[in-house]
Amino acid sequence: MFKHLQTGNALKTVIFFTIIFYLGKILDPYNQGQLSVVLMYFVGILSITFLTGLSGQISLGQGALMAVGGYTCALVVLNLGLNYWQSIIIAVLASLVAGWILGITAARLSGPYLAGTTLVIALAIPSLANRFESVFGGDVGLSVDFGNPPEWLSSAVGEIGYEQWQLFATLPFASIALYLALNLFKSRTGRSWRAVRDHEIAASLTGVNVQRIKIFTFVVASGFAGLAGALYGLRGIVGPSVYPISLSLALLTGAVLGGLRSIGGAFIGAVLVVFLPDLIEAISGSWELAPQISNYLPAMVAGILLILTVVLNPAGVAGGLHHHKSRHK
Amino acid sequence: MGKKSVDLMLKIENLVTEYGAVRALDGVSFTAAEGKITTVIGANGAGKSTLLRTISGLENSKSGQIVWADKSLIGKAPESIVRSGIAHVPEGHAVIPQLTVAENIEMGSLFRRRNFRSDVKLAMEEVCELFPRLAERSKQLAGTLSGGERQMLAISRALVSRPKLLLLDEPSLGLAPLVVEQIIQTVNDLCRKSGLTVLLVEQNANTALAVADYGVLLSLGKVVANLPAAELKADASLRAAYLGY
Amino acid sequence: MEQFLTAVFAGTASGSIYALVALGLVLVWRGAGVINFAQMGQAMFSTYVASTLIMNGYSYWIAFFVALAVGTALGTAIDLLVMRPLSGKRGSAILASPAMRATVPVIASLGILGILQSAAGMIWAAEERGFPAPVSTLGLSFGGEIMPFTAFDLFVIGIVLVTLIITTIFFQKTGMGLAMRASALNPEVARLSGIRTSSVRTLSWAISGAASSLAGLLVTPSANLSPNTLDLILIIGFTATVIGGLDSLPGGVIGGFILGLVISFVNVYSSPSDIFLAILALLLIVLLVRPQGILGSKEVRRV
Repeated sequence: MFKHLQTGNALKTVIFFTIIFYLGKILDPYNQGQLSVVLMYFVGILSITFLTGLSGQISLGQGALMAVGGYTCALVVLNLGLNYWQSIIIAVLASLVAGWILGITAARLSGPYLAGTTLVIALAIPSLANRFESVFGGDVGLSVDFGNPPEWLSSAVGEIGYEQWQLFATLPFASIALYLALNLFKSRTGRSWRAVRDHEIAASLTGVNVQRIKIFTFVVASGFAGLAGALYGLRGIVGPSVYPISLSLALLTGAVLGGLRSIGGAFIGAVLVVFLPDLIEAISGSWELAPQISNYLPAMVAGILLILTVVLNPAGVAGGLHHHKSRHK
Repeated sequence: MGKKSVDLMLKIENLVTEYGAVRALDGVSFTAAEGKITTVIGANGAGKSTLLRTISGLENSKSGQIVWADKSLIGKAPESIVRSGIAHVPEGHAVIPQLTVAENIEMGSLFRRRNFRSDVKLAMEEVCELFPRLAERSKQLAGTLSGGERQMLAISRALVSRPKLLLLDEPSLGLAPLVVEQIIQTVNDLCRKSGLTVLLVEQNANTALAVADYGVLLSLGKVVANLPAAELKADASLRAAYLGY
Repeated sequence: MEQFLTAVFAGTASGSIYALVALGLVLVWRGAGVINFAQMGQAMFSTYVASTLIMNGYSYWIAFFVALAVGTALGTAIDLLVMRPLSGKRGSAILASPAMRATVPVIASLGILGILQSAAGMIWAAEERGFPAPVSTLGLSFGGEIMPFTAFDLFVIGIVLVTLIITTIFFQKTGMGLAMRASALNPEVARLSGIRTSSVRTLSWAISGAASSLAGLLVTPSANLSPNTLDLILIIGFTATVIGGLDSLPGGVIGGFILGLVISFVNVYSSPSDIFLAILALLLIVLLVRPQGILGSKEVRRV
């Protein structure tokens, strides 16, 4: 039965890969770039899906973990000369370690104490960049990128544009992340996370080691965040301005809007966060609004959506669809 | 001898309260006569506490009717039920340990301050006379009181709102017999002197039936017997079947 | 020595502002069980209103009190329009776990913050506003020497102390204060005593709104006002409540002053980029030794 599950997940991943690849071939450069940002947010939001959605712990500092991934990747590329595949793997490992450290501290805290600590961490880590300017490049940051597309790909697919290559380079990692996420979700680990989320005391009575589960969740979530951070950084620059506090909040927003408890929700959330400003501009562009209004319109709409979601449909878009489906069976 | 304008009776009709799939109250009906002590007894889990909690508004009933002073209490919030003259002393002598004795009592009188300022003062004095031990400790934190004192405090808080109906949930829980005796006697005296209607939930059927006028025996959410207390007390078969002695 | 004094006075002055922010946060936490991340958004918005009034010729004090009124109104609105509907929602499965029930209002407050910030941007085009101080912001002279603090610093500390005294009297000596304390400690017993806990909750939001506007007004002469300038102050204020104990008003105040001094000393003796590392270190030390905060009570640690 387990094998059957895995095949199902592999199939879903392949379909995902194919669809995005196809979109990468037919979309215009701007939207190719947007799509690669969607993939990056998708992986980042997955960290929140696991941490908050499945395990019920709140973190306002996932952006900081993304920074860890991004900086590690950049440092490895620049100082050790490794290619981006190797650097990303090392970056993820570094994030796992960071997540472990974070988890040990955080697992003893709950609710607002956890939120507060992660918030301060989200600010402290980027400030390290200014503290050790020579290593981290201070405010300016470090430049890295995916390099040029490999020969075999361009000969197979034809000429590859800059944004297109960003997308194609990001896609395999996003797909791997998806596959891992799908497996984790249905696994026994996933079930014990849900148990801890819903009833900590009951879970501990059934022999679940609550502390260990919480730490493990942080580790896993950090891995996803670190991967997202590395992918984000490889778009060109790794610096404090790339991982501001608003990034952590954007991840949380996307997770809630799309649906905190499902992988599909994470993807929908990523799409919403990335394409909402474009969508709003498309609608309001013809209204001839003053620049001060149009500048802030996306943020305003996002805020309103967030509140409406939380008050009317806390399970997000994915949750709402699921509910609708099961009611009309 | 004027005619009473409002009928101060508590009428419960077919009350059903559910906790998820469990029916804690499964069609309970009875009347609590005005100015009398009606005791609700039964084994653990019979639904006694749920009954009081439903009357006072802490729990929502699924169906049925609760009528007090000719008005329905269904769907009303606890705060407004208190304002219609019902005071509920929940089980576990519910006081707030971080507040002082005086503050705990004062809590019960807050909602009356605007309209009955002078009476509030009077009520607080009366309560201090009723439980002099509390008056001695009035500036102490409620958390430092003994179990019996806390129960007295909880009752004081209820009394200071000048209720017409007092809901008492297991006042004897965890207390020494002597203290229980004291408390029950005080409540009994109060009822006889001021015409307060009392609905007393008790695990200890003997103690309750000794002072009560009427007894309602609950089992698994249903009323098994509704009799004058003396008859209930005398009925050995009922006692054996439902109270285990 | 001069450096030390500067650090102490600057730290006390900024600490008093963090204390105010902490006060507002603890009020809403105790009264409503929510961490209000929108608090400084309310402050920013009301300060913008005040600044507009001043630009149109009104006196400082009129603008001051209007700002307090706006802050109070915003707080009340947030409770009535968002938080009450939120707490009424019991049907959704996602709210079944206690962790989620705590998280959701936080997310809502983040949404409100976003709305307030974008609204300010839309109305005032994110103009950086200057904001006057009612007293001198130059170093005071004392016996011929210029001291390392200003009349304005004294003004700020004074107002915060007055606010603290007023709030303490309110909570300890008035009926409404008792009702608020009771509702926060045990809502069930409070309701059974006839206290309208939902109205009390709204009052907590209202008072907290006033406190946060006050913080915004007092901090802006030394920092330019724009939709985002107050974000950092919220984070520091929040850290102050965590350090001091989330459910303790005096704890939040103490935490505020401690943080103010720590930040000031780091600023003077080290470099500004160390500030958040210092805050993080302080936070971790406190939470390691006393997870409920300095004056917090043990039961509140778990959500």
